[in-house]
Amino acid sequence: MTAFNDFLRAVRAPLGAITLTLLLGFLLVMMITDQPVLAYRDLLLANFDSWSNFGLFLNRAMPLALIAIGITFAFRAGVFNVGGEGQLFAGAITTTMLGVALAGLPPVLLFPIVIIGGIAAGAFLGWIPGVLKVKLGVDEVVVTLMLNTIVLLFTSYLVNQVIRDTAAYGAVSQLVPKEIWLPSLPGVPKASSGILAAVVLAVVSWVVLFRTKWGAELRAAGTNLRYAEAIGIAAGRRVIGAMLVAGGCAGLAGALYVLGIGHRFEQNFSPDYGLVALTCALLARIHPIGALFTALFYALMLNGAAYMQISTDVPRSLVDLLTGLLVLLMTARVVISRRKA
Amino acid sequence: MVLESFLSSVLEQTAPLLLAALAAMITQRANILNVAVEGMMLVAAFTAIAVGGATGNIWLAFFAGVLASVLASQLLSIMTLKFNADFVVAGLGINLLAGGATLFMLERLYNSPGGLRPISFPELWHVPAGSLAFLPVIGPVFEGQSIVVLLALLAVPLCWVFLYRTPVGSYLRAAGEDEHAARSAGIRVDRMKALAVTISGLLSGLAGVQLAMDKLQFFLPDMTAGRGFIGLAATLFGGGQPWMTAAAAFLFGIFGALGDRLQAFDIPSQFILMLPYAAALLGLTFARWRTVMRNRPAKITE
Repeated sequence: MTAFNDFLRAVRAPLGAITLTLLLGFLLVMMITDQPVLAYRDLLLANFDSWSNFGLFLNRAMPLALIAIGITFAFRAGVFNVGGEGQLFAGAITTTMLGVALAGLPPVLLFPIVIIGGIAAGAFLGWIPGVLKVKLGVDEVVVTLMLNTIVLLFTSYLVNQVIRDTAAYGAVSQLVPKEIWLPSLPGVPKASSGILAAVVLAVVSWVVLFRTKWGAELRAAGTNLRYAEAIGIAAGRRVIGAMLVAGGCAGLAGALYVLGIGHRFEQNFSPDYGLVALTCALLARIHPIGALFTALFYALMLNGAAYMQISTDVPRSLVDLLTGLLVLLMTARVVISRRKA
Repeated sequence: MVLESFLSSVLEQTAPLLLAALAAMITQRANILNVAVEGMMLVAAFTAIAVGGATGNIWLAFFAGVLASVLASQLLSIMTLKFNADFVVAGLGINLLAGGATLFMLERLYNSPGGLRPISFPELWHVPAGSLAFLPVIGPVFEGQSIVVLLALLAVPLCWVFLYRTPVGSYLRAAGEDEHAARSAGIRVDRMKALAVTISGLLSGLAGVQLAMDKLQFFLPDMTAGRGFIGLAATLFGGGQPWMTAAAAFLFGIFGALGDRLQAFDIPSQFILMLPYAAALLGLTFARWRTVMRNRPAKITE
């Protein structure tokens, strides 16, 4: 019974923030359309209308979940990792570059190479802010923000000038070889099986964070770095390790996106996945399994907005607005209850 | 002539960066990492174009834009100071909200998600052509610049005077440097932070207004394109000092103006656009490295 009560206490605040935001959104929708109920039904439930909608929903959730799980490690180690977007792009572009450049290799070799390449690129981008924070005390928020822009500009250069598919419209690269595309999820034709990686990683991350010595040391480093060091934990190394995992997860998200969904690098493939995933991780109270669920919820809204726009005249940017509201409300606490305590 | 037109374009590119940098600087001095400059600029830009297009009155547009940004800053200050939200998270929330709300209004009110381009838009006051002909070089550089550019240049000494020569400014810095000490000295730390955020909103508003109203006179979704973050970078690069911050903003403005010109050569524009961010990153790392080296314990010789 206490475990259930603990669970209730843990989900109360995030559910409160979500409910409040959805209510505000409903008021807004009521003002601009005669069919607010239909609009909200489509926003939340149209994803389940057909298998293909459901598949697209899972595809949307995959990068969000993976990045959010990674960010969980960073937050638990006390690092505010805003760099998910850059790490995601680094993973996606590296996978694409390797896939296009080494297209001649047998798929058995090529597949692991491109996946590891993507993870390594993301991890490298996570390593930079981690090492700068530990060794020099440089603020990681600033470093990751700057790195995001640098990476996005760099991928824009690569995709426009180096591996551009001149026959296609827009800034997209050449296709990666068909032999290394991810198979679709059995039974759900449009869904890439990448979502399975997210589910597995969520569980593995929970075990690593909460049931291993490494995870305990990582969390100790995040709670109080100097204390952790004083009791003999290599706290600095744990922080850097957490950032490697965070970057690696985001890099994997990029790799799996390219292999399973885009099949090439598209400069505009991300509706700010990095920042939304940060939202998911925070909303889940920095818990890897919770992050999987908040990512699914967000994917629901992101895709549902498009269906809502088709069936009613509510613009899909409603979701962007609601996301902003949610992020603004998310870390807020009502002070009165604290004073009493 | 080439030099003058280049300098003139540097000044024009720098103005919004300079204002954004000062906006981030004021909050930085109150120990707030303000990532919301970007969003506040966007709100100001949208409001200025919307009001200007609807009323045809330039001052109404100008003040509405700045006011919108100040209101956004108040939202940030209420969420963080009253409801204890995290400054970085709430700041990112303001950015997302600004992007989402402007796009929502573009789609809903104007039915044009691509942007807002009023058919006629009133002109900001610009330095009249030929009025400064008696000054060599400097004259032509300033001719044709908008009043907001002049305000941006004026804002640097004003910020310096405010921070270093007024009692409120020193309270603000004290609140930023050591919150507990400041509180024991009787400084109302929360009020100082709220003031810093408000000034930041005012300066961000000017930056957004300049960006949208000066030459372009239209609004595009996400038209601030990271300028708020470049401003933040300039502040950190300049160590939060007004003159150094202004110098860094000018440096980044030069990169911007160079980027426009170097596209004619074979250097990809993306690398030029990267320069401010890379410079900020390296500058910040170098500054921290020097501090760490200076403060390391003396080596015991064997």
